[in-house]
Amino acid sequence: MNAPESKRAFRYVGTRPVRPDGVEKVTGKAIYGPDYQAANMLHGAILRSPHAHARVRSIDTKKAEALTGVKAVVTGADFPTTEHIIMAVGESSSDLVHLSRNCMAQDKVLYDGHAVAAVAATSDEIAREALDLIEVDYEVLPHVLGIEEALADDAPVLHDDVFTKGVNPTPDKPSNAAMRVEMGKGDPEKAMADADVTVSGRYTCEAVHQGYIEPHACVSAWDSDGQVRIWASSQGHFAVRSLTAKILLISEADIRVTPLEIGGGFGGKTTIYLEPVATLLSKKSGRPVRLAMSRAEVFRASGPAPGAVIDITMGANKDGMITAVDMEFKYHAGAYPAITAHSGASSALSHYTIENSRVIGWEVLCNRPGTKAYRAPGAPQSIYAVECALDEIAEKLGMDKIEIRLKNAARPGDPNIMGIPQGEIGYVECLEAARDHPHWSAPLGPNQGRGIAGGAWGNYGGPSTAQVSIAEDGTVLVTTGSPDIGGSRAAMAMMAAETLQVPYEKVRVAIADTSSIGYSMVTGGSRTTFATGLAVTNASNEIIENLKGRAANIWEVNASEVAWGEEGAVCLAEGKTDETMSLAALAARTTFMVGAIGAESSVNPGGFLPGVGVHICDTEVDPETGHAKVVRYTAIQDVGQPIHPDYVEGQMQGGAVQGIGWALNEAYLYNDKGCLDNPGFLDYRMPVASDVPMIDTVMVEKFNPGHPYGIKGVGEVPIVPPLGAVACSVSEAAGVRMRDLPLTPDRVHEAMHPDD
Amino acid sequence: MSKIHVTTTINGDESEFLCTPGETLLDALRNRLGLTGSKEGCGSGDCGACTVVMDGQMVCSCLVLAAEAQGTTIDTVEGVAEGSELHPVQQKFLERGALQCGFCTPGFIVASKALLDHNPDPSETEIRYWLAGNLCRCTGYDKIVRAVQDAAAELRQERTPA
Amino acid sequence: MRIVVMPPFDNEFFGGKDRLDLEAGNLFGMVRELDALSPGFSDVAGVRAQFAIDGVVVPDWSTSLAGASEVILLPRVGGG
Repeated sequence: MNAPESKRAFRYVGTRPVRPDGVEKVTGKAIYGPDYQAANMLHGAILRSPHAHARVRSIDTKKAEALTGVKAVVTGADFPTTEHIIMAVGESSSDLVHLSRNCMAQDKVLYDGHAVAAVAATSDEIAREALDLIEVDYEVLPHVLGIEEALADDAPVLHDDVFTKGVNPTPDKPSNAAMRVEMGKGDPEKAMADADVTVSGRYTCEAVHQGYIEPHACVSAWDSDGQVRIWASSQGHFAVRSLTAKILLISEADIRVTPLEIGGGFGGKTTIYLEPVATLLSKKSGRPVRLAMSRAEVFRASGPAPGAVIDITMGANKDGMITAVDMEFKYHAGAYPAITAHSGASSALSHYTIENSRVIGWEVLCNRPGTKAYRAPGAPQSIYAVECALDEIAEKLGMDKIEIRLKNAARPGDPNIMGIPQGEIGYVECLEAARDHPHWSAPLGPNQGRGIAGGAWGNYGGPSTAQVSIAEDGTVLVTTGSPDIGGSRAAMAMMAAETLQVPYEKVRVAIADTSSIGYSMVTGGSRTTFATGLAVTNASNEIIENLKGRAANIWEVNASEVAWGEEGAVCLAEGKTDETMSLAALAARTTFMVGAIGAESSVNPGGFLPGVGVHICDTEVDPETGHAKVVRYTAIQDVGQPIHPDYVEGQMQGGAVQGIGWALNEAYLYNDKGCLDNPGFLDYRMPVASDVPMIDTVMVEKFNPGHPYGIKGVGEVPIVPPLGAVACSVSEAAGVRMRDLPLTPDRVHEAMHPDD
Repeated sequence: MSKIHVTTTINGDESEFLCTPGETLLDALRNRLGLTGSKEGCGSGDCGACTVVMDGQMVCSCLVLAAEAQGTTIDTVEGVAEGSELHPVQQKFLERGALQCGFCTPGFIVASKALLDHNPDPSETEIRYWLAGNLCRCTGYDKIVRAVQDAAAELRQERTPA
Repeated sequence: MRIVVMPPFDNEFFGGKDRLDLEAGNLFGMVRELDALSPGFSDVAGVRAQFAIDGVVVPDWSTSLAGASEVILLPRVGGG
């Protein structure tokens, strides 16, 4: 156990206790999505399209159905016709028809790996054998993978019912441009013309997968009375419930989703792929059905985050004040419209105050899996271009790269690009911490370069429910509807312990199924410790008030004469000031004599604040091979009050390494038929332990006045700065500006040796 | 399909199961023996979530045929703790916050223990290269490496005669 | 009261207008007024929109608009 190190007068908040679910996870006992088994369960498998774009003329399932051991076959024809209603998915939204058709194609397949049929059988082997017996007649259509290609006049159009949103008037011709947003202020054209110095460039980055190690998996059991039980790992089991209910036209109360432990999500498990399919297979077979993706299925048919093409021009005066930014980015949407253009545009410049700006963002459909959230969705790409352009301006002016950022940094109260004041943000403090960090002034070795980049993300609140109840012996049970992906049970227990003033070890945390707790939005958007933590705190405070009343009745004094402290209820009434009653004593004495002790709180809080961070990266480039290796890395972030610093640092370190992977290695490789050539971890190269150094962290603790424990969301910001930090570092090490990610050895080598 | 009868020693206990010829050791452990601590992250030997020790050798159980387990001794994550007493590697993972989602953790625990059984005083580089076959997407490896360093130090202390 | 409409809603629903002038008692009323200008807006507002009243993002649509001078209508930002 580590010693308390809180800078404020907290007993538990800010310390590093062992998480309550730790032992079961280091001993292999925790049950994750693929581990769950139901009695009499069938094994499902999904047939996926081998084509990037094709019309499904017909599907013949007779031979598969006739195979011994096959109990059910499902195709798109088994899915009910749904309306085009807009559904919340995570904190974003999607058209219900698109969600349904992504689970199972109904007329066209839109990407390699798109589900077309599914089988449930008595064994996994039989299910897979049956897939081979399903005959699908495809009319192969021309496909398109690239952003610019998808916008060309003669590009194959994926949907005949998608008309560009955000342009006026709405076009009457369908296209692959799903959305356009434009925002800005001032007069960027004039300011650019007046600027002392300008830089321009086109930056690109590839689509990348969230890369959670646990593939998607679920078990669904449909009962003949129409009730459905689902066991699944996800970032939000209430989202699993509502999306499955709407796709299959089942009422939400008839679906009970039990959350299993989740093996990583990063935004990619805020939606559903398998649950409606498993439910239909269960309905047809009358038995519980498991569906689990292989790694190749995860790569071919889930995620990713969008790749991007970004054109930026930035102008500054000779003092380093950025006077104008003009940028236009285009993001992959994948097979279905996504909602990242707005967040890409609103985040791009939010950590700076720039008087004149125009930011245009596009979402572009193409024959790839539909893009999904991945930590700060939309922000890493646009901010990558902004940070690199700033780097170039600083170089042109001969200015220090932290000084130029400090000069332009957004400060508390400065409005963002939408005119909304930003509250108590700590970007200046982060930059100062970077300047003061020994990393910034350390000497570089040969072939090394140093990059720095900042970044921001808006964060969120959202609805959460928590129950706190006191057992008969005075120990504390916290129940939430928020899946724990990275230690949030510990944070909930710590906030309850802090509020109730009881030892941390006396608090245990459970995550309840959808029928056992009120609605709670997904664990995502950096919201859980903030919003669910507020609900836990509120419920704990309500219990204190209740217990003060009970103690007052026992002592026959007024409730206002009772205080609450570490010793429990404390009597303040004259003549009785020696009286105290512990939580254990109150529970023992009143549970049966008054009633059970518990409280529930449902919140939908405002008061969330943007997160900001600054990362410093040193790389060393091998001039012979072009291989770039990260040799030193420091992540600095305004985290508000950290509840459990290990898990805050863990978010920073994990996000940084994901960003390093995005910048250096990771990319989808499609062949000329539009099929994915690297659907596995061998060729889709995520960072391994030997690829990276220790990731040093600096937590800048700027308390959030809008939360009782000062919390700011921390989970998403860390993936925003790395793209720029790594790219600028490699550019310096290689001696040539690198603008296309990932910075693979062949690209770096070619840039360093253009004449070879 | 006719099944193969396999007899093996798992976590110190004699164990037997029937498997198909093409079945992996990972599937047999998970589906036939209920040892779901070993995880399948990839099925191709790239992520290490299914790491077990077979006759003293660290292997990805997804790359071993179940039938090959005949007559071998296998140690899985379920056997790392001695009864209810955690191994120092497990304890240090908890104290260092070296897991977030925890899905890759069993593979890291088995691999880290195997490293320390083989090299009681590994350098940071040795730890990183030994664990390079285990993917973690949550932690960025920092706290994992530190936990292994801490566990190594504690084990060395335990082994030093007083 | 001034309503500032952020993209893509300005073009998608309000004919390119990014400034509107409306009166309403709370955000439910505001959405009703916006739906009257662009039928169908209220169907998507619940999942796609959020509002800032005088510079503060307010999740609760019951919040009174008495005394408010500006409401910004912006997309709810998806998080991961």
